[in-house]
Formats: sequence, C-alpha cells, structure tokens
Amino acid sequence: MQNIINFLIKYRNLLLYLFLMILSVAFTVQSHSHHRNMFIHSTGNLTSSMLKSRSDVYSYFHLSERNKVLQRENAVLRMQLLAAGDTLLGEETTRIFLDTVPYRIMPARVIKNDFHKRDNYITIDIGTNQGIKNDMGVIAANGIVGLIDKAGPKYARVISVLNSNMSLNAQIKGTSTIGSLVWTGKDPYVMNLIDVPRLAKVKKGDTIITGLQSTSFPPDIMIGTVKKVALIDTGSRYDIEVKLFNDLTDLGYVNVIKMRDERARKRVDTLIVGDE
Amino acid sequence: MNNDIVLNTLRFIGLLLLQFFVMDQILFLGYINPMVYILFIVLYPMSNKRWTLLFLSFALGIIIDTYQDTGGAHAAAAVTLTYVRPFLLKLVFGESYLMRNVKVMESSLDRIALIIGLSIVVHHLVYYSLIIFNVVQVLEILKLTLVVGIATFFVSFVLTVLFSKKASL
Repeated sequence: MQNIINFLIKYRNLLLYLFLMILSVAFTVQSHSHHRNMFIHSTGNLTSSMLKSRSDVYSYFHLSERNKVLQRENAVLRMQLLAAGDTLLGEETTRIFLDTVPYRIMPARVIKNDFHKRDNYITIDIGTNQGIKNDMGVIAANGIVGLIDKAGPKYARVISVLNSNMSLNAQIKGTSTIGSLVWTGKDPYVMNLIDVPRLAKVKKGDTIITGLQSTSFPPDIMIGTVKKVALIDTGSRYDIEVKLFNDLTDLGYVNVIKMRDERARKRVDTLIVGDE
Repeated sequence: MNNDIVLNTLRFIGLLLLQFFVMDQILFLGYINPMVYILFIVLYPMSNKRWTLLFLSFALGIIIDTYQDTGGAHAAAAVTLTYVRPFLLKLVFGESYLMRNVKVMESSLDRIALIIGLSIVVHHLVYYSLIIFNVVQVLEILKLTLVVGIATFFVSFVLTVLFSKKASL
C-alpha cells in the first residue's frame, strides 16, 4: 500500500500528463468521426457569442463584397421568378409562397468559417429555436456548403463539404450518372467525384449537380464543373476533379434547406416500420 | 508570488484574446495562423509546480479546441509541451536552471529564440499529427509544422522581445 502511494506521488506529473493526454486524444479521435463529436464543439452559448462578436467586427471589412454577392443572387432569383411567373396564371403566382412548397429556406449568418484544416466546420447563427435539425442541407449563393452537424438552441454547426468525413451524392447534369463527392484535403476550391463507372459519359466542363438520392438537398443544386477526368483502378472507374462554384473561403450568408417530405422519404428509403 | 499569479492570469487571458481575435483571422497564404498562445506555457515561471501548469495548459488548449472545432488537438499539444518543458529548459539553460531562478523573459535573445523554437517544434508536431491523423501524410505534417512554425516563431519572438524587461537589442 505504502509502495503504491509512493509510486503515485513520485510519478504524479507523468500520470497527470498521461491522463490529460489520453482525454484530449480521445476528444480528437471522436471529432474525426461525423456526428460523434459530443463534448468539444462550437455551438455552446459562450463560445458562439464570442464567435459572433468576432464576426461582427470582421464582417465590416467585407461589406462591399457581400453586397455584390447578394445583388447578383437577387438578380438570378428575379430572373427565375420572372420565368416562373410566365408559366403561371393570375392568382397562382402568389401561391408559390404557400405551404405547398416542398422546401423551406432559412437564411443564416456565418459566424465562423474554416477551410484550411482537414476537417472543417462552419458555425451559423440560427439553431433549434428556429427549427434547425441535424442533417439539413446548407447552400450559399453559388451552390452547396455542407450539412447541419450539430444544432444547439441558438447556433448550429455545419459540417463543411471541405471535411474528410463528408461524402455527398452528386450527379452529372444531363445524364443519370451518379457518384460520391469527397474532399481530399488540399485545395478548398476543388473536390473529387469518385465511384463513377467507366461507361459514364463525362468530359471536361460538364456541370455537377446534387443527385436525387440526397435527403438533405433538393436535386439540381449547383456544385461545380468538371476540371479533370482520370481513369483509376486499371480503368474501371473515374476519378473526376470538380471545381466548385462556391468560394468556400469567403462565406457571408448561407441558406439552410428544410425539406417538407424528409421524414417520409427517409422512411421509404430505409423501410423502417413503426418509427412513429 | 502574488505578482506572478496576476501576471500569469493576465497573460492567459491576453494571449487567448489575441489568438481568438487577431491570430485566427490572419490566414496568411490561405492557411497560416500563428499559434501564439503557446507563449503562456513557454514563459510560465519555472519554479512553480508542474501539475498546475499541466491543468492550465489543458484548459487553455480545450478553450481553443472548443471554438476551432478541433476536438482535443490543441489540448493534447499544449499538455505535451508542458510535460517536456523541463527537458527543453535543461537543454537551453543548463542543468542548474532551477537553482539560478532563470526567467525566460530576462535571458539573452539567442536563448529566448532557442526555447521558443524548440517548444514550437514539439507543439506543432503533436498538433498537426492529431489534426491530419494519417501516417501516410507524414510529409504534410512536417510541411505544416515547418511553415506554420516559422509564422508562430516570428510572432512569438517579436512579442517576447517587445515585452521583455531588458530593453536591449
């Protein structure tokens, strides 16, 4: 007994070091897997309000760029609205904004944005109080941004597409060829579309959009253009480099997409009966 | 002694705020953010108990991990740096650094540079190993350690010299 106590006293620093080290490595390992990062995250009230005040200060430096982006987005939306208005008759134009729309869009401000790490996360200033739930899709003016990963009451964390744990369903526009969109961790402007079969017709300059399989994103959301096409695995599959439309290094405002039929679709997809 | 506590508390908060509001927004060349908070560990009084610094560096690291969403990588790196600090001090200031009551801030410039440099190597290696978390990408780990290390070194050295009581250059 005496020996054990002596041992503990003698090596107390080493033991304390090992304990703290194991604890922090455990946190790190956990943070490398999607949805399991429970303890150390940036959606707590104190952390998020700090991030918010930092973003308040720095957002002044980007006001004119943000304005330009918003103006451009407005112009695009106005064009779409005019095109839609053409095909609708009279009163029906107003119904577009009723409950029957399959997607709801909630605007949010980015209060923290990472893009220089391997696993990047974005923090936004809306949370469960505004109806945000896990796995909702997040888009910006020019295309996809990520998925809600952890929703706190007032803030939510978005797992950016620039994250090694992310894998999105994507499709080549004009065909029904699908693949998985992943990030290799090097260039924040480029992602890779993998698992595309050899028989697919793909060439440089093709547009990549979100696929129909996704339960988070509506189909036909823009992702990027094909930059380079290469056959891998002795020519059985394509590895396609995709240049993103969105500049993820410069995000001011994003939109969170809420799908009306999400639960119904998930239930059909997985055929879980008696869920509710 | 009391003075030490006040000074170190101020340093803890000051470096944390500096890291949060200034250093993490630099993004030099798109990815280089100096990790200046390690100065707290480097400059901590040598004669104090080691376990207090272990707890303090863990707290410092976890706070930074919280807002950077890095899990526990900063905490692990900071705790490791604290644990090896006595060996580094022995290397730089000689065996009897404890007897002579050496203070990093009051020593000569080359020694300040050396202790900061060695600390950065230890800290950044652990940090980037945990962040990248893939043995295959050793080169990437070393590259980031070197490039970000230089940035951290530059900022930390300037800060230390700026605040050092011996205004000699």
